[in-house]
Amino acid sequence: MLAVQILVDGFAISALYGLGAVGFTLMFGVSGVLNLSHGATMVVAAVTAWVVAGQHAGSPWLAALAGTGAGVATAFATYFLVVRPIQRSRSVPAAEKEIFVLTGTLLWGIMIQEAVAYFYTDNPKTVQPLIAGVMQIGGVRTPINELLIAVICWTVIGLLWLLVNRTKAGKVLLAASINPRALTILGFELSRVYLLVWTIYGVLAGIAGVLLATFLGASSAQASQLTASAFSIVVLGGLGSVTGSLFAAYVVGYLETLTAYLISPAYRTVPALVLVVLVVYFRPHGLLGRR
Amino acid sequence: MTAMPRGSTAAPLLDVEGLTKRFGGLIAAKDITFQIRAGEILGLIGPNGSGKSTVMQLIMGLHRPNAGAVRVLGTNVAGWAPHRIARQGVGIVFQHSRPLHRQTVLENIMLGLLPDKLLKLAANRHVRERAREIAARVGLENVLNRKPGTLAFADLRRMELAKAIARDPRVVLVDEPFAGLTAGEVDAFAQLIADFRSDGRAVLLVDHNVKSIAALADRVFAMYLGERIAEGTAAEVTRDPTVRRVYLGGGIEVASRPARAAVSTPLLQVEDVSVLYGKAQALDRVSIHVDEGEFVSVVGLNGAGKTTLFNAISGLVPYQGSIRWNAADLRGRSPAAIARGGVVQCPETRELFGDMSVRENLDLAGQHLSVAQAAEQLEWLYELFPRLRDRHAQAARTMSGGEQQMLAIARSLMMRPKLLILDEPTLGLAPVILEQISNALERLRNSTPITVLLGEQNVTFALPHADRIYVMEHARIVWEGEPSRFAAEAAATYL
Amino acid sequence: MWIALVLLAVLLTLPLWASAYILGVLTVACYFGVFAMSWDLLFGFANEVNFGPTFLIGTGAYTAGLLNAHGVPMWVCLIAGAAGALVGGVVLAVPALRLTGPYFGLTTLVAVLLLQQFIIIFAGTTGGEIGLTMNDILSMDATTNYWYALTFMAVSGAILLTLSRSPVGLILQASGQDRIGAAALGFNVVKHKLAAFCVSAVFSGLAGAMLVFYLGTASVGTVVDVAVGVQVIIAAVLGGRRTIVGAAIGAIFLILAGELLRPLGQLSTFVVSAVALVVILFFVDGLMGLLGRRREES
Repeated sequence: MLAVQILVDGFAISALYGLGAVGFTLMFGVSGVLNLSHGATMVVAAVTAWVVAGQHAGSPWLAALAGTGAGVATAFATYFLVVRPIQRSRSVPAAEKEIFVLTGTLLWGIMIQEAVAYFYTDNPKTVQPLIAGVMQIGGVRTPINELLIAVICWTVIGLLWLLVNRTKAGKVLLAASINPRALTILGFELSRVYLLVWTIYGVLAGIAGVLLATFLGASSAQASQLTASAFSIVVLGGLGSVTGSLFAAYVVGYLETLTAYLISPAYRTVPALVLVVLVVYFRPHGLLGRR
Repeated sequence: MTAMPRGSTAAPLLDVEGLTKRFGGLIAAKDITFQIRAGEILGLIGPNGSGKSTVMQLIMGLHRPNAGAVRVLGTNVAGWAPHRIARQGVGIVFQHSRPLHRQTVLENIMLGLLPDKLLKLAANRHVRERAREIAARVGLENVLNRKPGTLAFADLRRMELAKAIARDPRVVLVDEPFAGLTAGEVDAFAQLIADFRSDGRAVLLVDHNVKSIAALADRVFAMYLGERIAEGTAAEVTRDPTVRRVYLGGGIEVASRPARAAVSTPLLQVEDVSVLYGKAQALDRVSIHVDEGEFVSVVGLNGAGKTTLFNAISGLVPYQGSIRWNAADLRGRSPAAIARGGVVQCPETRELFGDMSVRENLDLAGQHLSVAQAAEQLEWLYELFPRLRDRHAQAARTMSGGEQQMLAIARSLMMRPKLLILDEPTLGLAPVILEQISNALERLRNSTPITVLLGEQNVTFALPHADRIYVMEHARIVWEGEPSRFAAEAAATYL
Repeated sequence: MWIALVLLAVLLTLPLWASAYILGVLTVACYFGVFAMSWDLLFGFANEVNFGPTFLIGTGAYTAGLLNAHGVPMWVCLIAGAAGALVGGVVLAVPALRLTGPYFGLTTLVAVLLLQQFIIIFAGTTGGEIGLTMNDILSMDATTNYWYALTFMAVSGAILLTLSRSPVGLILQASGQDRIGAAALGFNVVKHKLAAFCVSAVFSGLAGAMLVFYLGTASVGTVVDVAVGVQVIIAAVLGGRRTIVGAAIGAIFLILAGELLRPLGQLSTFVVSAVALVVILFFVDGLMGLLGRRREES
């Protein structure tokens, strides 16, 4: 009974973590950017969905769409207002660009977080589940929404896989994560590649944010925690490795669920953090990392 | 000059024995053995990929050798951390200046005089004085309080020498000492290096060819593909048949080329182009032109400026001067746009997508074509390089060097370039592969209207297909003409 | 340099005319100044980006606080705090010296989160999110507290500045800018970077311990939270990287600005972050850069 509950809950939360982490690691792999406003982007998507659902008393699907759109918009804002100016800046020495981008996205994330809190308070926002109701799985009453989240996450991940491995544009993205200079000499404008990756990132973070709102609720106060989760997972799995992130997401997701059920919800995050520390000490490039 | 007489029984200051280093499957250095005594300069020469830089790095401790010993004054330092090797008495003058940009010249030199202590809160008075003395010895007395960013290129090189002198090493490793210097500066530097010899130090001079260090070196040790190929005086090594083959290739053969009709506007016109890398003059008012359908070879050793020239044409580095393609100025166009416009470069580093398969690499390059065109081009390329067809599903980075080069060339050709720029395709490749690539180029030459600009240090490879040759040296074009005249006029001075 | 002396002179005269409230704000600012200067030593000189300075600060603060809660005298606690932070510094240095680029930054951030979680989980001992009440405090009087803080900052600043300009500082800069070049000149880069971590840790930890003795409580929100760490980094970057003095100026500026903007309520953090972002984008050399000390980069 409990085992089934853990299995299902763990699966759903891991899928959600996985979606967010995949976006984060894709961004790093292709453009070298560690976006520390990741959590804030998810929160914007969640809150937008909540606003649209509340104000228009409309279908949660419309809210979800709006939320995802907000995620994309935030991603673009992050790229054009913060990341690209730093990357193109001539006063920042090349060796420090990475650090400046990190600090810049960190600050930007805080700004977004505070703005959201200002307009909408930092109370958790929830959105109606996309499909209401419960069903029985192995004798446990599970909200259908939870299953839907897992399905949606994996569908999106599957679509992403198809995009990267089976389409022309996807191949270009993959190539950019391997050797951007080579793409230039083959006639591809890197600026277009970056635009594509930020769009995909926005969609992934947006969907993750909306789903989070339907599942556990999201508040602006969680933004840093969400970012922290994502990059812990990504460091665990290996920066730049999508497979690694998915694997690590499940490890972390199940560790958290097991801890929450078997020990106490308060200690939820500890085992995963300890694991991250161990990995960083003994296998710094993560379980499946490349760079 | 206090050079030790030949046959002296004095123990060598530097004794390298059986030094071997492998990087994965590549043997960078194999069983290298030589000694250098006090007051002696040994020249270590070899083309790119010969392993000379690896040997130097092994001595300095920047890599751990797989086998062999490096004895400094009798103590084997092989495998030690670099800072310990430095404290044991080995100094190095790096090829590329590496100043501390936020510190003054004086402070940079003082650094070499400081002990490795954590609690040094105040420098001894004599450290400053000594630093000033050293600066004066190398000619930097007037710029002591300036920051490196304001110094001229030669002064930055002087500062590197000063740092090495500050360490007071018994053994000095000098990497390509004269690259980027004018003739006058070369003389001054040569004197400073000769002073190392007078001080009684052992000097290892690493460079590309014998010519540049012949005047300084007491003996020369030549390497190729990781192994020793000759050893002796500069004159002996220059005459050595293996060395000549490596640098000039076999006999200089020239295939007769059909006469070409005069063309009014060249396809590519490079005029008075100069490029500065930081302070180094990488290109100095270079002008070349390439006519439609021509095969032009730019011949020159590493560091001569070929790659810089190609990068300027491809829009990858900023330059002064003008580069015109089909009479239109290329300035301002992005590198990707230039490539799409028909000027495709196959760089020296190949830049393959290592984790992708051969087929994926080629498909990427063919994305700008229609599906039908891409398929047709792919088929043609598989015929040109049958090995690629065999290995179409293999990951690029698991292929041999020769296969990777073929893939790199094929990938560039997928774009149906009007001008193919090939940078050092033969680097580090075995002769049998060179043959295959050479044949492929010949077929390319004869069956398509493609225009080719080839950059090579291997003269034998560069000559047979070429309609015209340019020779580059020290960032300038020093000779231009037809292959038939090259043998007579330029070849002698090349080595 | 002169700017630092001018500022110091102004700060010295403050108790004559400023209110207790202002003195209080500046007391906190002084401790923050030490946080920022310690960070600058590590980043500006050793070239190591510590995204979690509050790991060191918090370790120092809580070591002191927990000991004090068991009746240990204040001065002993302060020393213990510094020692605790030193241990933390070594713990942080070990992965640092094996990692490059973003990995190290992420490690430091994870360290902070772990510390935070541990404190919250063992709330019985540590007071959790509510905080730990100290048995002793430095002083009840605002002026006395101010003098303690100002002296501490001035002395720390002097030490750190001297270090940065000494031969050891030169070696540290070389180790940070060019590992291989420094090794070729005979310097054990690992040893020097480890030393830099230790110095940064000791000052951060000591300042953290003093801060909690001033405030009277040690809580996650004041000495461990990632947000606090971010403020430290902003202060140092805002003031001007690699100047030590700039970090202190940046910290004072930031704390004062935070107070001035208090009427804005929730938006104050937003505005401060926005200003910091603008500085990063357009005034890369920070306040010291604006005041005319151009940093020459290649």
